[in-house]
Amino acid sequence: MVEKVKEATRDTVLETATLEALKDIDVAGGGAVARRKAPPPVLKPEARRQTPSVGQRVPRPDSRPHGTGETLYIDDMTLPGMLFAKVKRSEHAHARIVSVDTSEAEAMAGVMAVVTGHDVPVNSFGPSYQDQPILADTKVFHMGDGVAAVAAISEQIAEQAVERIKVVYEPLPAVFDPLEAMDENAPKIHDPAPNIYTRKVIKKGDVEQAFAEADLVLEKRFSTQMVEHVPIEPHAAIASWDSSERLTVWSALGRVTLGRADLARTLDLPINRIRVQSTFVGGNFGGKNEITMEPVLALLARKARRPVKGIYTRHDEFVSSTTRHPFIMDYKTGVTKAGRILGRKVRLVADGGAYCSWSETALGKAAILSAGPYVVDNLHVDAYAVYTNKTMAGAMRGFGAPQVCFAYESQMDDIARELAIDPLEIRLLNAFDEGSPSPTGQVLESVVVKNSLLTAADRFGWKEPGQ
Amino acid sequence: MIEVNITVNGEARTAEVPPETTLLTLLRDWGLTGTKLGCDEGDCGACTVLLDGMSVNGCLVLAGRANGCSVSTVEGLSVDGRLHPLQEAFEQHASLQCGFCGPGILMSAKELLDANPSASKSEIRIALSGNLCRCTGYVKIIDAVAEAGAKMAAHGGQSNG
Amino acid sequence: MQPFDYVAADSVEKAVKILIDNSPSARPVAGATDVLNDIRRGLVEPRMLVDISGIAELQGIEITDRGLRIGSLATHTEIIKSPLIKEHAPALADASLTVGAVQTRNMGTLGGNLVSAVPSLDGAPVLMALDALVTIAGSAGREEVALRDFFLGPRQTVLGTDRILVDMLIPKANLGKATSFAKFGLRKGQALALINVAASLHVDAATGRAAQTRIALGAVAPKPIHASEAEAFVDANAPGEETFSEAGRIAATQASPIDDFRASAAYRIELIQVLTRRALSEAYSQATGGPEGR
Ligand SMILES: Cc1cc2nc3c(=O)[nH]c(=O)nc-3n(C[C@H](O)[C@H](O)[C@H](O)COP(=O)(O)OP(=O)(O)OC[C@H]3O[C@@H](n4cnc5c(N)ncnc54)[C@H](O)[C@@H]3O)c2cc1C
Repeated sequence: MVEKVKEATRDTVLETATLEALKDIDVAGGGAVARRKAPPPVLKPEARRQTPSVGQRVPRPDSRPHGTGETLYIDDMTLPGMLFAKVKRSEHAHARIVSVDTSEAEAMAGVMAVVTGHDVPVNSFGPSYQDQPILADTKVFHMGDGVAAVAAISEQIAEQAVERIKVVYEPLPAVFDPLEAMDENAPKIHDPAPNIYTRKVIKKGDVEQAFAEADLVLEKRFSTQMVEHVPIEPHAAIASWDSSERLTVWSALGRVTLGRADLARTLDLPINRIRVQSTFVGGNFGGKNEITMEPVLALLARKARRPVKGIYTRHDEFVSSTTRHPFIMDYKTGVTKAGRILGRKVRLVADGGAYCSWSETALGKAAILSAGPYVVDNLHVDAYAVYTNKTMAGAMRGFGAPQVCFAYESQMDDIARELAIDPLEIRLLNAFDEGSPSPTGQVLESVVVKNSLLTAADRFGWKEPGQ
Repeated sequence: MIEVNITVNGEARTAEVPPETTLLTLLRDWGLTGTKLGCDEGDCGACTVLLDGMSVNGCLVLAGRANGCSVSTVEGLSVDGRLHPLQEAFEQHASLQCGFCGPGILMSAKELLDANPSASKSEIRIALSGNLCRCTGYVKIIDAVAEAGAKMAAHGGQSNG
Repeated sequence: MQPFDYVAADSVEKAVKILIDNSPSARPVAGATDVLNDIRRGLVEPRMLVDISGIAELQGIEITDRGLRIGSLATHTEIIKSPLIKEHAPALADASLTVGAVQTRNMGTLGGNLVSAVPSLDGAPVLMALDALVTIAGSAGREEVALRDFFLGPRQTVLGTDRILVDMLIPKANLGKATSFAKFGLRKGQALALINVAASLHVDAATGRAAQTRIALGAVAPKPIHASEAEAFVDANAPGEETFSEAGRIAATQASPIDDFRASAAYRIELIQVLTRRALSEAYSQATGGPEGR
């Protein structure tokens, strides 16, 4: 069967090649003579001509300084008079902040500035919805929320000062399970907003009809866990003001222009007074795609009139920086005996944690990709992003793609097993071709999925069971 | 405050530090920022330095414990501008992406190759198991260590010969 | 890190005196791989650390007329490299090789490992399977106790806050006893044990029966334990896969593993069964010079 599909693939390629050749019809000459060229080698992009460096060995320009230890990451930089910041974090997943008493910390020798959420001019940010406080002021929404921050002459003093900040909380019922959070009676995390903050629906064809016609309908729930990026370099930034009230921020942030806009908004400062200096980054993976403590450092630096550096601890990284969304994915797929997918129904619930962050983007991508690289004429995708009182989920390598990939590929294997079809074969049978429409109607070009599958199967020696 | 005397990359240094100061903090305070702080609990290996030739996590060694010892850091790997075979091989193989784990990995690899330049890939893996790379260039890293080892073995175990 | 004082002691007696004078807020520190993290996490808040790493009496690995003596300061790396360990108790080197990674093994000591008394510690099972004894130094002098009586619970031993672990002794009778160590972690390098187990046994040349079987398990209860019923079962039945599998099942009934983020209790129970069986069969092949024997 694999051989047959190989043939079929070649046919497809030939067809494509013929189409390409037809474009070359010599109209100028008046005669409809197709200059049929020999078909190009099978779907091989002519990379060398497009980008001469592809396939060449090029030393990374930063390799050598990385290897000698010269590269300066943020924590390796020091400005004269620089202070160190530490953030006081919530002790509750969900609570009302009754009071924050910073007096003891402020009185400590070596402490140069303390700020709370009330010091933030515009205390909200976020790439899609501005639902995240810079420092929580009225409520904490998860354990990683900062409630106050300290700048001191040493990291150790800053750490001790944070311990002396007294916060009184009134705990609120917390929700940790995204399915529970979707319940109408669940505590509203960002009251009065509903816990479901984003929904994406894709409808194509008639899934119910497809299920009725199918020889086999499989249904299963798949779920994935929360994943932290764990860049070896923790989040890091330095903020410094000059005498004309201009702010410079050195940050390991991946999106400097977005960060600059967020700084301007939250500090209520004209954007031209802010300079964000990007630096070497010790790993991002999507986790350094939005500001974290940059505005806090800026406020501390303004108060102390000295530059302030802030480095996340590994604990901060885990509780307070974004993560990859845990997904709960319900898949129902109808197939013919031969293994052809007739229809698929998908319900995705993305646990967004306490804030939206990049959930909008991740959920959209997950929804579009949830049918897999397969031709599914009848599709119904219903996708939700939901608030819970957990560390927020955001961007991470693939923006929702790895989660759904785990689900659709697992189900593909289940179907293959159920129908006793080779797992490779069933994929070749259903995979996209040149010109296949995506679930949202995009006509796909440069489709190489079948070739990739075959090449991969060849390289790792895939054999149909029994062969 | 305690007084510590440490020979770093061949240079004698002295400091008065609070007792809770780690070797990592002290080295970085001395301006040797090549050694990185990644987790501060011994898991990631970004702070790996050699203490009397032995790889250790700088974040788990008190400065007082290093008193009287000799310490090698990534800054001491190249001599008089001549790169160490490890540094050359890491550059050649593009083993370092973000680079943050690099200094620690280089020092772990140095400990291994100093003792056994012909280390096998599985020995290299064991030697590097305390160093995390999140850009996941492990394959290139392991290839580079093996190549550097072969070079060193060819030079009778000498690194800068 | 929170501030503390630091003193280096050069003898056991001086160390004990400093500990007593500052009890209960002073702590010994050997390789520091455990205690510094405990301080950072606020699990302990010592006002003074007493560095014992320079005390000569706590060092060394040697054969005495009573058996194999391992100084509490012996690092995991020293244990792995020691020809004496390789000859007389190679399973201990196998266990040390699974502790953390090179950096941790270079600094971390076997004594510190035992005193840390976390349920998953990898240093205990082999020593317990070999009926090791430990020497403790305190204000009342020296005292020897069986390692099986040393642990009280998570992070708690009979030492209290003012005594020093001097050394560990594998009794002469058990040198060379067939012993096997097995550990299961979430990855191969630098992972704490979901469970670990050591099994040791003699095989009676005349009867072919196993004798003095020991099965010690870690990470399955608040402290390392002996699966004594499983041990007795192996001694009482014809050795072989069937007996070893059954012993695994019995061992699992003696354990009380926890559910946590690393694994569920049910999964750990399964691991106990499998790893106990494997450890027994490997020890048995060693004893009978079988294919897996050393
Ligand atoms: C990244 C990492 C990975 C690890 N992986 C493992 C693992 O896989 N398996 C494992 O078992 N452990 C592991 N550990 C824990 C630890 O490294 C080992 O337990 C090590 O052997 C501890 O020895 P130490 O000398 O460093 O102890 P220290 O930190 O010096 O001391 C530990 C405790 O024992 C006390 N103490 C030390 N020596 C004595 C003595 N002679 N008398 C009285 N009290 C004493 C100290 O006061 C302290 O309470 C790991 C640690 C890290 C950081």
